[in-house]
Amino acid sequence: MASFKPTKIQVYPKLGEKVTQDTLYWKNYKAPVQIKEFGAVTSIDFSPVTPHNFAVTAFTRIHIYGPFSQEPVKSFTRFKDTAYCGRFRSDGQLLVAGCEDSVVRLFDVSGKVALRLFKGHTKAVHLTDFTSDRYQILTGSDDYTCRLWDIPNATELTTYREHTDYIRCGVTSKLNRDLFITGSYDHTVKLFDARVEKSVITMDHGQPVESVLLYPSEGLLVSAGGRHVKVWDLLKGGQPLVSLKNHHKTVTSLALSSNGQRLLSASLDRHVKVYSTTNYKVVHNFDYAASILSLALAPDDESIVVGMTNSILSIKHRKNQEDSKEIAGQQRRRPSYRVFVKGKNYVPKQDDYLVSKPVKEHLAKYDKQLRRFNVSKALDTALETWIRFRKPEITMAVIKELDRRGTLKNALAGRDERGLSQLLNFLIGNFVDARFTPVLVTAAEMILDIYQSIIGQSPLVDRQLLRLQDLVEKEIDYQKELLEVLGMLDTMFASSLPRKEVPCSGIGKSNGLTQGEPSTSKPQLQVT
Amino acid sequence: MAADGGSSSLQLPCVFSPKSRQFLALCAQDGRLRIWNTDSKTLHQEYVPSAHLSATCTCIAWGPCRTVKEGPQRKKRKSEAVQVEEKADLLAMGTAAGTVLIYSTAKGALHCTLDGAHSGGVNCVQWHPEESLLYSGSDDTNIVEWDLQTGKTRSKWKADRAAVTSLCVSPDGKLLLSAGHIIKMWDLDTKEVYRKFTGHSTAVTTLRFATTRPPDSNGLYFLSGAAHDRLLSVWQVREDGKDKNSVVSFTLTDEPQHIDLVTSNSKEEAVRLAVVCKDGQLHLFEHFLNGPCKKPLSPSCTVQMSDTKESPMPIPLLAAVLGADTRTVMLAYGSHLQPVMEKVEINTAERHVCLTRDVQTTLSLSMETTVSKVKTPIVNAKSKVLVPGLPGHQAPLKGTSQGSEKRKKDTDTKEMSIAERLGEIDLSTISEKGASKGTASLQTDNFAVLLVQGLESNDASILNKVFQTRKDMVIKKTVARLPLSAVLPLVEELTKRLQGHPFTAALMVRWLKAVLMHHTSYLASLPDLVTQLGVLYHMIESRVKMFHKLTKLHGKLYLLMTQMATSDSSKMVSDVDHTAKLVYEDESSDEDEASGDEGLPDEDSDHWEEDEAVEEAMTEDNQEESEDEDPDSRTESKANGEEDMEHENESEEE
Repeated sequence: MASFKPTKIQVYPKLGEKVTQDTLYWKNYKAPVQIKEFGAVTSIDFSPVTPHNFAVTAFTRIHIYGPFSQEPVKSFTRFKDTAYCGRFRSDGQLLVAGCEDSVVRLFDVSGKVALRLFKGHTKAVHLTDFTSDRYQILTGSDDYTCRLWDIPNATELTTYREHTDYIRCGVTSKLNRDLFITGSYDHTVKLFDARVEKSVITMDHGQPVESVLLYPSEGLLVSAGGRHVKVWDLLKGGQPLVSLKNHHKTVTSLALSSNGQRLLSASLDRHVKVYSTTNYKVVHNFDYAASILSLALAPDDESIVVGMTNSILSIKHRKNQEDSKEIAGQQRRRPSYRVFVKGKNYVPKQDDYLVSKPVKEHLAKYDKQLRRFNVSKALDTALETWIRFRKPEITMAVIKELDRRGTLKNALAGRDERGLSQLLNFLIGNFVDARFTPVLVTAAEMILDIYQSIIGQSPLVDRQLLRLQDLVEKEIDYQKELLEVLGMLDTMFASSLPRKEVPCSGIGKSNGLTQGEPSTSKPQLQVT
Repeated sequence: MAADGGSSSLQLPCVFSPKSRQFLALCAQDGRLRIWNTDSKTLHQEYVPSAHLSATCTCIAWGPCRTVKEGPQRKKRKSEAVQVEEKADLLAMGTAAGTVLIYSTAKGALHCTLDGAHSGGVNCVQWHPEESLLYSGSDDTNIVEWDLQTGKTRSKWKADRAAVTSLCVSPDGKLLLSAGHIIKMWDLDTKEVYRKFTGHSTAVTTLRFATTRPPDSNGLYFLSGAAHDRLLSVWQVREDGKDKNSVVSFTLTDEPQHIDLVTSNSKEEAVRLAVVCKDGQLHLFEHFLNGPCKKPLSPSCTVQMSDTKESPMPIPLLAAVLGADTRTVMLAYGSHLQPVMEKVEINTAERHVCLTRDVQTTLSLSMETTVSKVKTPIVNAKSKVLVPGLPGHQAPLKGTSQGSEKRKKDTDTKEMSIAERLGEIDLSTISEKGASKGTASLQTDNFAVLLVQGLESNDASILNKVFQTRKDMVIKKTVARLPLSAVLPLVEELTKRLQGHPFTAALMVRWLKAVLMHHTSYLASLPDLVTQLGVLYHMIESRVKMFHKLTKLHGKLYLLMTQMATSDSSKMVSDVDHTAKLVYEDESSDEDEASGDEGLPDEDSDHWEEDEAVEEAMTEDNQEESEDEDPDSRTESKANGEEDMEHENESEEE
């Protein structure tokens, strides 16, 4: 007895966007935790030491959140006005922040009151950072100056007055204690060396600079301003490498994913884009509800934190593989692996006599029906609501199989009003799907042949037939238009014939429908 | 009568004249004082203070009504003395520069300017009810008492640590309420604090005495309202000094903007209160002030106003005053530049009243009779008018012919978000048919920019919005303006969208066609054209393959459906026509039956053995089906019977 072959479900390629390694990686985050802050979230900074708390600067407060807490573990509220740029020192012990009232405050992370106050700027301070030797602070202000301060004495060491507009961003080198970079609204990014009292490299970004970022190797610098993100080679003296323009509003924040392989940019247009740092192509895109002001990634991409203008802080945690497994295990204890493999991995020795036991086939419901030649029932099971909506491929495969056997007509016939309307619904739903159309057209013709005598008896069926007719009409109109487009494309391909002979002729052959086209395209050829 | 005059600059002063309510004084965003006649509903006078741009008017108060000859300070006007008794004449205006202007409506000119006493902006002015005194409170925390006969300050004292935001003189003229950090009650004879009241956390914008002072002074009540506060609090001044908390509070829907109340003289008489909130609603209260009441009181009646368009928009009420009897209310509504006054009877039995008014027509009516004395500079569309007050508010004065458009203009001048702008474009593209091409090109320009932006950032919402355009003109122009660098991304995006449902995809085809038509040369010049457009080509090709079959199917469906439709319609006509046809069909009925029998074996012929069971099931099904259909469609099938037969005949003939 020949064994029954189960219906082969054809796998159709998914339409639309491609699934890449990156999309899988970046989609592997839980639903975001949203926390309402007191004002627009202007800065987020992760502590470099475990457990990697992060400081969120919003309005007149700085909150420090733990890696999993949704309540701030600590908050600094001793600001007279809007606070800016709360940043951790490399040992995670100290936190520095600028303020609208031009005073820079230094906090102990465990304390409450400012340890030091640095007064000297005359306008709001938007940039603060620690140098890599941990004893100095870099500040940049709206009074066009950036300064270095000594932490122990709270005194000013140097002032640089090279920028001609607000200084809004900057970063210190993690490798060299004397190097730091500032970005200003005068469109320039400057690299300063504290040993020579003036800027060493000046790069013209072209727009007010909103954010700068150093690669871990510190050979490359990324600056964001206006709609552009630009990458500069510092080792070649500030040569521009790449200019990216993938946002339609100002880019406000930059971040590197921890392995340095991906660059993230956040913008006022509510998107976060992920770029590959090898070819600088956008590999993924996040959408948020409001304009984004700040963005930060936890080490190892454990979480993505985004601060928005509507004062909402959104935290996405990475899905933990072990977690999900554990949960699954708790839900249902399965027999261990050994139970299934028992005896299966036994390799027969040379003298053994092998008795083969037929492997029991597990058949799907519709296959069982098909095996018994209950064609009508097989179709019914394939038309079950769940399958119909979730996996139309299965329904399609069954219809195809029935058609192959020549019993589709039998399966379609003999349905009552409900069954027929279900069938028609499926038709209407999937008719225009180009993958399914060929099969469904035959099915539709058969249905019409079988049921034309009862048309007019059931208002429900009539309505559905009308809808089907409407749909077919639309599709035909659409395909007519497509045919015209096809004609245009043919002409166009033909006109580029001299340069690309081989592929074009190939297409000409494959194109059986539009035979009239080559003749029309020839005169064009002569003209061009 | 300065009901408002609070410190919050958002509120524009708007006051009815006392007693007869003949005039409405309004200081609009453009810094001009306008006095409207409430009887004729026309502009009575307009006054432009010399410093109206630098020092905006912050508060207005009408002087008490009196016979004109009474005060010696009105000496100048004696010659033109008006014989009418009790006519409201003088207006005091406090400005942001710290001066107080006294304007005479009888003269139609500035009467005098009181300055030199305040260093900060004036927040409120109040007249003494009997003597010719004026009180003003300022940002510099002082209260100044002006003597209007001399035009000098009579006394000046520091009232509070914070700015004085509101003042109120008691009806008998002995007490003065001031509000800064806290509400203080001053004895006007000694200028000493008589009482202090605390309770509001924000600046107090409204203070009003609710009762005249009775002999036992336990019955003195006043009420207060504060910025960002949706409560009006009533305070009782008690002999024993136990008046730390407010006794009653009235709930509102928004912060109070204008209040009017009819005071009660005795405990038996209810206080009537009309409050216009910032959201443009009017709330009417009626309450007996006889001691504390725990629960906040909700209004006895709420009045809203909306216009008569298809989708009604609320018209904000600006001010309201209570009439002599309980039901009439005088309302001012519309824009500050052109308010409409109306006396309305309100059915206070209902809790919520909504009035509908056609503002456009009333506006144009009032504009026809504009006072010729007033010169309004005609502003053409290009020039921008800078006005004091709120940044972003613009109040261009249009010529009188364009008066009816003014309302629209006001709303249009606000900053629009991109989404709104898109919505606007959509509306106008649909509504405009014969509109000038200049505007159309502007819109498509916007669309092109948006499309480029959307393609660059891959923003689905923007792209959806752009691609939903149905107007061919817009599509063409947009594509024509598209920079070359955006063409290929657009084609890619279109390819993605072409795969969908024909309803949406049909729109995409138009875009694709437009792209191919406008950028032919560019596309043809691409060296890798075939690879670029190959995906698109194959996609289209695979879809079009089914064209023949589909067309056939459509023909079939079409025939069937038209047959059904004709049978339906013939059924609709009458039964008389059918009699002839029935006779004809009776002859061929045998054939019909025969054909029905032939049909069955046809279907089953292929699979005799395996289909036995199925056949049984089918026959059962059929029986069931017929049974199922029986109850609901028996009458129908009877009626349809003839037509169905007819169908079969025809199909056989084919």
